[in-house]
Amino acid sequence: MIDYNDYQDDKNHSPSRQLWLLFNESHPARIGLWLCISLLLLSILAPLISPYSPYEFDGSALLMPPAWADEGNVDYMLGTDDLGRDILSRLMNGASLTFGLSIVSILIALFFGLILGSLAGLSKGVKSSMFNHVLDLALTMPSLLTAIIIVAVLGPGISNMIWAIMLSSLPQFVHAIRNAVHDELQKEYVIAYRLDGANMTQVLTHAILPNIFEQIIVVATMAISNAILDIAALGFLRLGAQAPSPEWGAMVAESLDQLYSAPWTIALPGVLIFLSVLSINLVGDGLANALKRRLER
Amino acid sequence: MINYILRRTVLLLFVMFSLTVLAFSLAYLFPGDPLVNLSGYQEITVNQLAFLELKYKIDDGIIRQYLAFLERIFDGDLGISFNSQSAIFEQLSRIFPATMELAIYSLLISTFFGIPLGILAAYYHRKLPDVLIISSTMVGYCLPVFWWALITIMVFSLQLGWFPSSGRIGLVYEVPYETGFLLWDILQADIPYRYEAFINALKHMALPTFVLATYPTTVLIRYTRGSMLNVLETNFIKTAKAKGLSTWQVLFHHGLRNALLPVIRLLGLQFSTLITLAMLTEVIFSWPGIGRWLIDSIYQRDYPAITGGLLAVSTFVILVTITSDVIYKWFNPISRTHVDD
Repeated sequence: MIDYNDYQDDKNHSPSRQLWLLFNESHPARIGLWLCISLLLLSILAPLISPYSPYEFDGSALLMPPAWADEGNVDYMLGTDDLGRDILSRLMNGASLTFGLSIVSILIALFFGLILGSLAGLSKGVKSSMFNHVLDLALTMPSLLTAIIIVAVLGPGISNMIWAIMLSSLPQFVHAIRNAVHDELQKEYVIAYRLDGANMTQVLTHAILPNIFEQIIVVATMAISNAILDIAALGFLRLGAQAPSPEWGAMVAESLDQLYSAPWTIALPGVLIFLSVLSINLVGDGLANALKRRLER
Repeated sequence: MINYILRRTVLLLFVMFSLTVLAFSLAYLFPGDPLVNLSGYQEITVNQLAFLELKYKIDDGIIRQYLAFLERIFDGDLGISFNSQSAIFEQLSRIFPATMELAIYSLLISTFFGIPLGILAAYYHRKLPDVLIISSTMVGYCLPVFWWALITIMVFSLQLGWFPSSGRIGLVYEVPYETGFLLWDILQADIPYRYEAFINALKHMALPTFVLATYPTTVLIRYTRGSMLNVLETNFIKTAKAKGLSTWQVLFHHGLRNALLPVIRLLGLQFSTLITLAMLTEVIFSWPGIGRWLIDSIYQRDYPAITGGLLAVSTFVILVTITSDVIYKWFNPISRTHVDD
């Protein structure tokens, strides 16, 4: 029976609108989204709104605790490090490195993943099966290990680190997109479109990509949260961002000597890494849940 | 099944081939003379040069060089390290057990806590215990491991003083090297202070193991819960319930058995993540394992050591993954029917 009520129902929204409504029902996901947006704004606007330069020394205020401590000073909201640099400014500027760079490098990796993945998904036979097996194994290598290998070859530094993050997150995109394209190709609407005379490029751009787009976003959010952790870990190991840089992992590494005397110099960057990973994961989880529930309707 | 094992073996060989090619090409990719990068002798005398050129076939074609490289791997000769001028293979086999020990204990702990908590969460699906467990796993999942390690040091080592923050055992204890697995070595050793040494080693192990176990535990909880929820929706569970079995009977006799199958595979996959996280943990806790060694070699640009370390770690990771895949198929006949794998 055709359910004519569908047309009178005020719930008859477009699929993306439905997704948004379902996403909004979950409080953690909404909190995650807000966090995410504010971090994104911070990473763009940090140089404009941070009170000091991240590299500015103040010899009269070394290792000053945050403002709420007894010895704290409101001039330096979150205290200063061992060189008298304002931690709040450093943390704000670090957002564009740890958070911003992870998003940028994942977007670039996603672009190449889309090309390779769709090519792999459209191919058939031995070539595709071989490709799949190799991908499976590339996937078993943890991204951080691959990134460390790549940095070991290219040498430490922030640009090499970005290459490492992009290359190590590429296999999962190719894999996910390949599988999604492959599954979608079997579906009847795609077959109908092909019978209409659409060529493979048209099938890909008009039928498949719009329909797997949302799944890919979910994969990408997970990849971003991984990339943040990897960038921070590489920074911490002094293989990524180098010493004066306000990258959060590098900040932790730089303050390692003050673990006992000035715990806030280590705790605060870690909290931000944690929050950014958490926000991305909440959004990703919320999106995946919303997708699942939309399908169940 | 035999077919599957064969195909996995072919795949393994193929991957090992690409890995060794990569490791070999590193000698050319790293700056400096390939012969120096391969052998590890930084100042080669005239007499040595002739010998090394012959051994590394440096004047022959690339393919011959690569074959000589393979031959040396099978002989357990990975050159010598720039830094210590001692054989890399010996160093690797000496420090590898330390990493293994850390990783295995963490995996055991996370299995011990992760699976029951996952089942609990699935049992109380969308009730308070489930929400509590799932939100705390979300937190554990997002913790950067190096920061988490530092925080635990800050609290348990510096503030409370319960556990030491670095090394494997106190310097006063001398334990003869047997297998490299410290706890086992202590139990086997014929020393008067065995009990004290054992307790001391356990204390040293507590923090790194706890930190390392955090991530796999959260993943296991989430995965076990998801897998259990999937199984609980199947028809055979409904049948079992309809037969009048009690909830616990259904859960343990029918649910758990089927829900744990995918978890076996996950354990194998987790091991590779664990080795990477162990590298970070080792750096912080000054644990004399392969991770710290590899990172140190990267700092010192010790090219033969980097090549050897990478080869060892990646070979190990891939072996574990393929083995766990085969075990999974072995226990789970349903998954064998899928054509695509």
